[in-house]
Amino acid sequence: MTKAMLIDLTRCTGCRACQVACKQWNDLPAEYTVCWGCYDNPPDLSPTTWNRIAFYEWEEDGQPKWMFRPVRCFHCTDAPCVAVCPTGALFKDYNGFTAYDESLCNGCGYCSQACPFNIPRLTDMDTIKGKANVTGKGKSSKCTFCQDRVHNGLVPACAKTCAPGAIQYGEREDLIAEGKARVAELTTNGHPEANLYGENLLGGLGMMYVLPKSPDWLTQLDKEQNRGNAPIPADPSYQLVNFWQNIFRPLGGIAVGLTTIGLGINFLIARRTIKLEGEEG
Amino acid sequence: MAKKMKGAMYVFSTTQRLVHWLIVVGFTILVLTGLPIYLDSPIAQGDSGMLIKLWHRIGVVVTAVAALFYVLFDPKRLVVDLKKIFTWGGDDLGWFKAAPGYYFLGDEGAMPEQDKYNTGQKLWYVTVVIGGVFIGVTGLIMWFGRGSIPPGLFLWAVFLHSVLAVMLTSFTLVHIYLAVMHPLMKEGLDSIRFGYMPEEYVKRHHAKLYEELKGKEGN
Repeated sequence: MTKAMLIDLTRCTGCRACQVACKQWNDLPAEYTVCWGCYDNPPDLSPTTWNRIAFYEWEEDGQPKWMFRPVRCFHCTDAPCVAVCPTGALFKDYNGFTAYDESLCNGCGYCSQACPFNIPRLTDMDTIKGKANVTGKGKSSKCTFCQDRVHNGLVPACAKTCAPGAIQYGEREDLIAEGKARVAELTTNGHPEANLYGENLLGGLGMMYVLPKSPDWLTQLDKEQNRGNAPIPADPSYQLVNFWQNIFRPLGGIAVGLTTIGLGINFLIARRTIKLEGEEG
Repeated sequence: MAKKMKGAMYVFSTTQRLVHWLIVVGFTILVLTGLPIYLDSPIAQGDSGMLIKLWHRIGVVVTAVAALFYVLFDPKRLVVDLKKIFTWGGDDLGWFKAAPGYYFLGDEGAMPEQDKYNTGQKLWYVTVVIGGVFIGVTGLIMWFGRGSIPPGLFLWAVFLHSVLAVMLTSFTLVHIYLAVMHPLMKEGLDSIRFGYMPEEYVKRHHAKLYEELKGKEGN
């Protein structure tokens, strides 16, 4: 059965309990951060922060508005990171979420580049300016859907701890129905743009949002206010990664194979004919 | 000026030969470490994968040092080489027509006169130079660019890097085969090992170079 989480952003109070619960369960140390003029803390995801609350504010009808958004892996059904992962470290779990086996990761970083939501982060063990990885040592990291809890019949740490009930965990189908009902309620109750994000995107997201505004509008707001760059594109897409993984590799093998066969044929013919000429001469 | 050897012509300088064999070492490391990455082999997983990635980078350094050697220590011959490989004419078309007869049957009757590098060798050399630059640039993008360049560019670099790797590897197979296994190319292999090529061989297979070298001797 496909499990999922539904995060109702109209219910989130920004308490960051999920952020703490995530760190606690997954044994992730706290980070030193500085105040940079926003409530976001830490300002970005990192190898030791798999879930964080992004804070957004805007003015509407002369009223200040606030929104809090837990940013973490969306666990796409057709996950680009799984498609590009060359080691199998990222894979789809039978429960539907995007699981991760750190021991298999070789730190290539393709996942961090393929993800349309900018989620996976790399521990670069040997870095220049915190960006480039000199020796190639490092590991990817991201939210694992608490795979160790879910497989043991427990609720993911963030959902377990969420006080206002903004994060719900359960069967995906049930959550979609619930999300739709909530959206219907919101649209008639002062949030005309409310929508359910992720029902069908990338094969269906394993972590869906109830959004009070359109995804594009929120992505734009994120660009303006957020240092972490956490887009929620209305239509996340990735063509090239599929192309390279599935089409080119066999072609490359064929090219090398044909070359070898051609050389073999040349060898068989040239060895016979040219030897004879040498003897004649 | 090069040392004289009776009945032989000096065709590759010490620097050129050193550069060639350094590239052999570097490229071998690159192919051996690149192949498991390309094939998603289990040995490219986890910690052994990191070791493979490290050695791939070491291979890059060896190859880059080789290229740098050529630029620093024999720039004159590098420029001559580049001029020769980017000069194409009617004789090259003739070479393509005569090549099957020559390489399969040893029939050199229809082969037009060639310079130091015949058409096939020029094609190989051009592929190495241009392909080398592009595979180097895409590799550096993957090595140092993550996080500071757009993700789309990174993924394109990964893709192009693989395409170029297949091209260069295939052509390298042809290169090694011709040098080591083909019955007619022993002189070529010897020339890149010792620097000299028999005068008779130069005259028959690289007639334009023969004229050029003879002309210099006359002066």
